[in-house]
Amino acid sequence: MNLPTSYAHPEALVETDWLAEHLNDDGIRIVESNEDILLYDTGHIPGAVHIDWRSDLQDPLIRDYISPEKFAEVCSRNGITPDTTCVFYGDKANWWATYALWAFRLFGHTKVKVLNGGRDKWKAEGRPSTREVPKYPRTDYPVPPKRFDAEIRAFADDALKQSKAGQPLIDVRSPGEFKGDITHMPEYPQEGVLRGGHIPGAKSVPWKTAANDNGTFKSASELAKIYMQDCGITPEKETIVYCRIGERSSHTWFVLTYLLGIDNVRNYDGSWTEWGNRVGMPIERGA
Amino acid sequence: MYPPKLNNIINLFEMLPEVERRETLVSYADSAKKQEPRAGEQFELEDVRKDEECADTVGVYLHVDEEGKAHFRMTLGAEVQTLTRAMTAILCKGLDGATPQEILELPSDFVTRIVGEQLVRVRSQTTYYILTRMKGICKVYLDRQRRMAAAAVA
Repeated sequence: MNLPTSYAHPEALVETDWLAEHLNDDGIRIVESNEDILLYDTGHIPGAVHIDWRSDLQDPLIRDYISPEKFAEVCSRNGITPDTTCVFYGDKANWWATYALWAFRLFGHTKVKVLNGGRDKWKAEGRPSTREVPKYPRTDYPVPPKRFDAEIRAFADDALKQSKAGQPLIDVRSPGEFKGDITHMPEYPQEGVLRGGHIPGAKSVPWKTAANDNGTFKSASELAKIYMQDCGITPEKETIVYCRIGERSSHTWFVLTYLLGIDNVRNYDGSWTEWGNRVGMPIERGA
Repeated sequence: MYPPKLNNIINLFEMLPEVERRETLVSYADSAKKQEPRAGEQFELEDVRKDEECADTVGVYLHVDEEGKAHFRMTLGAEVQTLTRAMTAILCKGLDGATPQEILELPSDFVTRIVGEQLVRVRSQTTYYILTRMKGICKVYLDRQRRMAAAAVA
């Protein structure tokens, strides 16, 4: 197998230097999405808008994403049009930024990029920050005709089918969660999962494997070795990635889709909080 | 119902529109570092630990003065979230001077009135964590006092 030596879609990744020079470009909207709900309020990249993964992108009642109508409203109030290039960044090495990017893709918004290294790298480099919340003229984002669930999102039954067929399933949680020793991330809240373990046949590749210590993505060669050579992921086989609620697996989904160019990857956002609670689902434990 | 200082903070937040509420929370978060122990201060109890409910280590330091009034200091690890920092400053100030028993009996419904329903809904564990830790150290203090009183009688 010839492994790639450069990113398949380098245009999907921007560096801090590039963003610093394009802060005021027309046609770009910088979007911050964090785990820490008030972090944006403490200071953000000038011109950035805040889109919260939970209050803005998830339905408040049903465990699902917002409707196409509500997505259009989120975009419109943030001055985003279908032609706007959204540059996502956030805390935790871009977990929630890639989650928000993936959610935008669910609604067919394809002009998306990620700031390599996210919020921490921008801050570490001493780049400008402001508490001023920008005001953009409201747009009239058209209601997407559909949500692209079938293309990039997997459900529990899809993951079960994948497991039974022995097709690639990547569990990106910590080794302790994979083995079933714990049901949540180390140092994170218990999310009320009744069973620990992993989907039978899944391989453990923690999300952090794809990131450098400063939160940037590893090189194409390194990523190809991890996912293609060692895990056997190829463009020919459909792959499903999952974690606990779909945020860490969004990071891996971005790596596989944009950096390695593997198109048929889907994110199982129900992830372990669904699988570990659903009656009758098969579970494996151990490494 | 609530300690007077806490009541003042609740009343302040309830008057604020949502944007100003968030700004005020961030201001409190910015001041959380002022709640750290100062040189020479003595405490009856210290509880420094990393719980799974919080992203980093939180230290709670309790001093109870001669009048039985509680005074808190707190240390927060670098990864502690902004909302937790805000609640730290709010509760250190709001509960200063209350008795450990009053703090232990304090209903937690005021948290929503300070933080707002939306933030409580989307980050519920974060908002209650510091109050739980402060109640916890008060309970340990009161249990110890009761044991000492019982031993003195015996």
